Amino acid sequence: MKFGIFFEISVPRPWHHGVEKQVYDNCMEQVMLADELGFDHVWAVEHHFLEEYSHCSAPEIFLTACAAKTKRIRIGHGIVVCVPQFNPPVKIAERTATMDIISGGRLDVGTGRSATWTELGGFNVNPDETKKTWDEIVHCLPDMWTQERYGYQGRSWSMPVRTILPKPYQKPHPPLWVAVTSPGTEIDAAERGMGSLGLTFGTIKEQEIKVANYHKIIRNCEPVGKFVNEQISTVNFLYCHEDSEKAVKTGRRLFGTFNFLASQLLAAREAYPSKSYPSLGLLPSLRREASGPGDASGVPEGIAIGDPERVLQACKRWESAGVDRINFLLNAIETVPQEEVLQSLRTFAKYVMPHFQGEQHAAAAGGR
Amino acid sequence: MPPRFGKLDSKAWGDKYAREIHGFHTEPMELKKAHILNLNHEIDDDLADFLTPKAMHPSIPAYATVTVVSAPESPMGPFVYGEVKVACRAGVRPRDFVLRSFCNNPEAARELSQRWGYPMTVGDAKMIVRHDRIQGKVTLEGLVILEMEMFDRDFLSGNDIQYIANMHLARNTEDGVLTLVQIDPDYVFHRAERGRPILHVLDNAAWGDSEGHLKLRNPISMSYAIADIELPAIRYVTDPERDAFRGTTKVAKAA
Repeated sequence: MKFGIFFEISVPRPWHHGVEKQVYDNCMEQVMLADELGFDHVWAVEHHFLEEYSHCSAPEIFLTACAAKTKRIRIGHGIVVCVPQFNPPVKIAERTATMDIISGGRLDVGTGRSATWTELGGFNVNPDETKKTWDEIVHCLPDMWTQERYGYQGRSWSMPVRTILPKPYQKPHPPLWVAVTSPGTEIDAAERGMGSLGLTFGTIKEQEIKVANYHKIIRNCEPVGKFVNEQISTVNFLYCHEDSEKAVKTGRRLFGTFNFLASQLLAAREAYPSKSYPSLGLLPSLRREASGPGDASGVPEGIAIGDPERVLQACKRWESAGVDRINFLLNAIETVPQEEVLQSLRTFAKYVMPHFQGEQHAAAAGGR
Repeated sequence: MPPRFGKLDSKAWGDKYAREIHGFHTEPMELKKAHILNLNHEIDDDLADFLTPKAMHPSIPAYATVTVVSAPESPMGPFVYGEVKVACRAGVRPRDFVLRSFCNNPEAARELSQRWGYPMTVGDAKMIVRHDRIQGKVTLEGLVILEMEMFDRDFLSGNDIQYIANMHLARNTEDGVLTLVQIDPDYVFHRAERGRPILHVLDNAAWGDSEGHLKLRNPISMSYAIADIELPAIRYVTDPERDAFRGTTKVAKAA
C-alpha cells in the first residue's frame, strides 16, 4: 500500500486579493511536507469554472512547481481532460513530457473526460462525444511520446506529420491512469492496460468486486501504452489526530464542507440526458459514502478520519479489498487550519505509515 | 464564509403566486403514460439569485427548467400543464423551485394545488407530438406565454433522464404559514428521447418575473419521455426563510 495526497485546490469566498495565493502556498507547503514524510504521490486535478470547489485550472503549472521543490514524491497530473476543446492532444504530449523532464522522471499521467455541465458547457463540448475523444487521445499519447515523427488522421482530431518535442524522461514513457467514476470505467482501464485511478469510494464490498474484475480483464488487455500499468488507486479524506474526539469533529467538518461544495455544481447527467454519463460522477459518490453508515463516531466506514488506530484500520480495510494506493484529500476551502493539516500528515506518517512499510502488495509493483 | 443563498422575497412572492395547500398529508396519485417535455436552459447567475428562496443555494451555473406535462389519464380526467422552474440546491440536494404552473383542467389545477402545493393557475397548456418535432405551448388570455420545440429526436433509455424534485411555495390552510413543499415523484419510463431545443417564447412577466431576473443564456438540452408518474405523499417541507439544512421538517416516511 502506498499513500498520496490529492488536491482540488478549493478557495473560500470572499475572493479578496491574496486568498488564492494563500491557498496555493498552503498546498505547496503540504506537498513539501508530504515529500519529507515519505508520501508517494501528489495528484492535482484539472477543473475549470468550479467556483470555490476547485481553482485548479492549470495543474501542470502547480505540479511543475511541486516537482521543482521536492526530491522524491511522484507527480500525478490528473486527471488531464482528454477532450480537444479543453486540451489539444499535442499540447498534452508536450507539456507532460516537459513535466517528466523537470521532475526527473517522476510523472504519472491520469486521463479523463470531465463530468460536469459547468465545465463541458463552458467549453461547448457535446457530452455524447467525450468518452470517444478520451479513448482516441489515450491511444495517441504513447505514440506521440515515443515516435520521432508523428502524424494522425482521426475522428475527433488530426495533424500532419511533425516532430513532437520534448520526449519524456522516463522510458518508454510515464505510467498512464484512467479516472474511474462511472460504473464500468474500471473495465475500460483494464482493457487498455491502464491504472485505475478511483475517484469514488463505492462501498468496500463494491470495491472488492471492481478490483477482481480489473485484475481479471487486464490479463488479456490490449495496452494503449508500451507497458501495462496494473495498479488500483482510490481517494479518501484524511484527518488524523491523537485525540479521537477532536479528529472526528474536524474530519466531519472537512468532508461535510467538501460534499456541500461538490453538490452545488451541475453534473453533466443532471442537465444533459445522455448514455455517455450513466452516473453523476465523482461528487455524488463521495457524498453518498461520506453520509453512509459508519461507527459510533458518525464517520462512515473506510474514511480515514479519527485517531491513528482508526485511520490504520480504515487503510487496512482498503488494502484487504485489493487497493494498491490511497490518495488523501486534506482540506476543503481551508476549513481545517493549515497547521492542523500539517500536523495530521505528521501524525499519519508517524503512527500509520510504518505499518505499511516493507509490505509489497503484488500489484503495487506497477508495470509488467 | 457562508455560501451563496437565494435572495427571493418569499412573502411578497407567496402573496402573489402561492396557492393554498390543505395540510401535508395526502395520498399518492398515479398519472399513467404521461408525456413529459423538459427543457434545461442556462440563465444569468447573479439575477437567478432573486428567483431562489433564501433557504436554498443557486446551482453552478444557474439554469431554468421549463416543463410541459400531458396526462391522458387521471382521476380528474386528462389534463396538460406547463411550469417554469429555477434549479437550486436545498443543502446538498438538487431541487427545482417552481415559479408558476398553468393547467388546462380546472379540477386538476385545484387538486394539484390543494394536495401538493403546485402554484397552479388555469391556463391553456398543450403538447403536440409530431414525427419531426414535439411542441409545448402555454397560452393565457389569448397570449402565448410559452412556446418551445424539440427537433432531431434521438432515442435514449429512461435511465438516462434525471428529473429534479420540485419545491412549491404554498400556504398551509391549517396554520396559514408559507412553506416550501418538496414533491419528488417516481417515474417508470416507457420511452425517452433527447433532441435539439428551441425556445420561441418565454414571457417572463406571465411567469411571475416582472423584473426580468430570469435572463436566458445558453440552451442545454431538451428531452421527451412517456412515463407513469406517481405523485407521492409529501415527505419534507422547508421554511423558505431558513437554511434548508436547519429549516427542513420531515412530514412522512418514504413509501
